[in-house]
Amino acid sequence: MSEKVLLIPKIENGIVIDHIPAGLGAPILRAIVAHPDARHVVLTLGLNYKSNKLGHKDLIKLDIDDLPASVLEQIALIAPGVTVKRIVDFDVDKKYVMQTPELLVNLVKCRNPNCVTNHEAGIATEYRAINQRRVQYKCSHCERIFFLNELERLAAAAESVVSR
Amino acid sequence: MTKDLISINDLTTDEIHGLLDLSAKVEAMPLAERVQMLRGNVLGVMFFEPSTRTRLSFEAAMARLGGSVVGFSETGSTSVVKGESLADTVRTLECYSDVMVIRHPWEGAARLAASVSKVPVINAGDGSNQHPTQTLLDLYTLRKFFGKIGGLKVAFVGDLKYGRTVHSLVHALMMFGDVQMTLVSPEALQLPDYLKIEAANRGVVLNETTDLAEAVRSCDAVYMTRIQKERFADLVEYEKVKNSFCLTAKALEEAQEHMKVLHPLPRVTEIASDVDSTRHAGYFEQVRNGVVMRQAILLTLLGVRP
Repeated sequence: MSEKVLLIPKIENGIVIDHIPAGLGAPILRAIVAHPDARHVVLTLGLNYKSNKLGHKDLIKLDIDDLPASVLEQIALIAPGVTVKRIVDFDVDKKYVMQTPELLVNLVKCRNPNCVTNHEAGIATEYRAINQRRVQYKCSHCERIFFLNELERLAAAAESVVSR
Repeated sequence: MTKDLISINDLTTDEIHGLLDLSAKVEAMPLAERVQMLRGNVLGVMFFEPSTRTRLSFEAAMARLGGSVVGFSETGSTSVVKGESLADTVRTLECYSDVMVIRHPWEGAARLAASVSKVPVINAGDGSNQHPTQTLLDLYTLRKFFGKIGGLKVAFVGDLKYGRTVHSLVHALMMFGDVQMTLVSPEALQLPDYLKIEAANRGVVLNETTDLAEAVRSCDAVYMTRIQKERFADLVEYEKVKNSFCLTAKALEEAQEHMKVLHPLPRVTEIASDVDSTRHAGYFEQVRNGVVMRQAILLTLLGVRP
């Protein structure tokens, strides 16, 4: 019997977030529970499992039918490449490999202190990838270009839960 | 062309050429004919920052097309001082005008204005970001002087870090892939990295130097900007560089005969007054071109074709 099954049992229904690089499980967890629709979800967090692909990985299992779209986008920002699986009757119903979105709407704060989005209340920030690798993004307002890892994430906005 | 003119990056090279062609057409029209074209239209102007040429040339452009102007050139007498948001100020002026012009110290302010306004919005400068109408008149001036834009060698001199006219024009010239650009500035005032990244992404080579004399000798046009004293933390540094980037009639003796000096103005000491009477002075012609280019922009956004 594998170490994984011993520590976190299979779930009948819910969401499994797998292949999280070790150390990023906690930030992903914080992004999930910051959303009002996921704040009280029952969940299990596993840290530092051995992984052939990653060396070590984290794992999250959630008792929820689907994750809100903005939470999925946050997860993709924190750790592109993680796998999100929807489990129904102990089987994998759907599986996604999360990619950084091409368009980041209200997901990150503009780093330019003189950008209008940092002064005028109620404006959504918008960043668009400027290359296929999606490592550099351009602010649609002030037109500054930043590397994705330079941008500070905004907390997940409230929204209805949507299926992916 | 889209509903608004916010950034030179929103335009294709065909659209830029279309505006340059329309400017030439407008310039050739008799004044009596021009003054009928926008009769009954109102231009709303919102200047949250000081301006001489941009505001006056927009007002002159609209008046000479037969339209009228409402708005403000400083915020002291408006509800902005009461804390009214930018979006609400835009929505208010939108009710009184057919087209709007905005200058604002925040980068992206014009983009926000365009997103809340139903009437066309023209960016007259947003922080250190874009100044597309200046860029278009600069391009028009270059084309008038040289008959082309592609293939030119253009030097930018002075404050390349904070000058939005430089940022906009560098953006635009990148679209004409075969323009060779030379950047001449003190180390503290070099072109921002994000523009250099954009140039690299487009495969455009920017030559950086501190040798103004070489740039004067080799380029077709030298685009001067003012070195702003207030940008220097150490005034000794300012004193060191301020005279290194000054053009005099003597310094222009080695320039090619056709070379033109441009400047978005106002100038202080970076172009000596003895340059004004040389064949190289192009900056007052540049100011004159601002009116026809802005007329072409107003006509285009209001859907009026001559």
